[in-house]
Amino acid sequence: MSVEVEVNENDLAEMVEQVWESYLDPEGVSPLMQTYDENQASEVHSSVSITGSWTGHVVYASSLPAARRAAGAFLAMGPEEVSEEDLSDVLGELANIIGGNVKAMLPPGALLSLPQVVLAPEATARYPNAHRITGVYGIWDGEPVSISMWQSRGDNKEGAE
Amino acid sequence: MTLSQAEFNFVSQLVRREASIVLAPGKEYLVEARLIPVARAVGAAGVSEFLADLQRRPDPAKQRKIIDALTTNETSWFRDREPFAALTDVVLPELVKSRASARKVRVWSAASSSGQEAYSLAITMQETLPPGWSYDIMGTDISTEMVKRAETAEYSQVEVNRGLPAAQLVQYFERAGAHWRIAPALRRNVSFRLMNLTAPLPVMQPFDVIFLRNVLIYFDVATKRQVLQNVAKLLRPDGWLFLGAAETTIGIDDNYERVAAGRTSAYRVRTGAPAGAMRRG
Amino acid sequence: MTRMRAMVIDDSRAMRMILKRIVTKLNFEAVEAGDGKEALDLLTAMPEVPELALIDWNMPNMNGLEFVTHVRADPRLREMTLVMVTTESEQSQIVRALAAGAHEYVIKPFTEGAMIEKLALLGLVPTGANS
Repeated sequence: MSVEVEVNENDLAEMVEQVWESYLDPEGVSPLMQTYDENQASEVHSSVSITGSWTGHVVYASSLPAARRAAGAFLAMGPEEVSEEDLSDVLGELANIIGGNVKAMLPPGALLSLPQVVLAPEATARYPNAHRITGVYGIWDGEPVSISMWQSRGDNKEGAE
Repeated sequence: MTLSQAEFNFVSQLVRREASIVLAPGKEYLVEARLIPVARAVGAAGVSEFLADLQRRPDPAKQRKIIDALTTNETSWFRDREPFAALTDVVLPELVKSRASARKVRVWSAASSSGQEAYSLAITMQETLPPGWSYDIMGTDISTEMVKRAETAEYSQVEVNRGLPAAQLVQYFERAGAHWRIAPALRRNVSFRLMNLTAPLPVMQPFDVIFLRNVLIYFDVATKRQVLQNVAKLLRPDGWLFLGAAETTIGIDDNYERVAAGRTSAYRVRTGAPAGAMRRG
Repeated sequence: MTRMRAMVIDDSRAMRMILKRIVTKLNFEAVEAGDGKEALDLLTAMPEVPELALIDWNMPNMNGLEFVTHVRADPRLREMTLVMVTTESEQSQIVRALAAGAHEYVIKPFTEGAMIEKLALLGLVPTGANS
């Protein structure tokens, strides 16, 4: 029996919109503009892992300036004042918020890990045995940001891992 | 490119006059960002062209689009709380006495937008009416898109956070993918249809309660009067009309009287001025 | 009138900052804790119990649900209003938190306006502060 992933690009796009409206762009003047470019570059990324009814990762990746800007929006400071610790904390929370909402759309019995932050580009090598199944890729004020879902191989077979 | 001072002034005077909203100077970029999609939707070449055209030829529909774009979606559940508290504490107990034989309450959410008010009314009825009673909620809006959206009865995570107590979220909604959908038990009592309040209204059974909130603010005095007269014909003689906090019938239509309803006020048709008599004027 | 106090419990400093900004705007004095255990220790040491706690669910050491259960079992903390603020958004999870004794539930992401509306539902927003 195969497990259908019930989360698609539109769901991710809606979450992105909500995260922007809530924290990153409350005035609604600077949305994430879609590029549909799944190969766009990133300099930092964060992720949460989901295990159980679906197994894989939810990944937030962006350039360093976009990450600084996000941290600045959360912490109410200028992007240039943002420390490495600030960056790490905010990127982790972004992955947590998006991952938590993805989890709620999956069949019951999924567990969410605490977030992991890597101040280095997103790379396939970081998620061995997983492949990207969907994502939202965009430009935020000229800087790349993406949110994607990676499914662990074997997850579409029951009991496999 | 940002708005010129003159363009910004035009927009800020418009929203101040029509919606009592004050735009702080320095928000030019915000105004422009919000108006870009509006200009695009009406087929204007850009925001400047759109505003220039509107200055030459005033158009209430376009003005309303500007106001909508600049008022952050005020689509909370139980918006303003007090009218809903007045229903629970004052209006429904009275209707329960006066409608004891019919055991039914009819409510109209006029200008229902995406439906939060209509469904909030349904929750209020569900929780306040005694067992064995039924209710009908009708929502109407001038926008086909909004009517469709309200009928879908699905709301995003951000939308269900707005003013909706968690206990009611879990009781009256069910999860639908990324969204929350109003449960069938509630939805079956609520319907939506397209309606322009300024045009002659279709034949309908009159209502016990009408919510007509934050609608009159968009109209000039003559249109306000027209809408209030239209609505009066559909309000039962002992029914209740609720307006927005910044709205009143006073000085516009003397056939209504303002009455206290809990911590807010409502409007009722004056005795001796039955609904049918309100055509004069 | 003395200022009301709000405890902000979340393992993310960024989220604590956001919540602190909102409650400060509503004229609360904010106290921070990084997990449920730290929050309970702080409460034990505080001479007066805060009126409000905003509580994340998934945290190390002691999660938000455990914290709520502890608070509800402690007569000294009975008056505290408990609001879960979390990405946990399954219907069953909300029911669990309410059953454990949380008074309200806010799902992340939330806008500032939504948080203020929820606190207004609980009677914790002074009139006039909400706009």
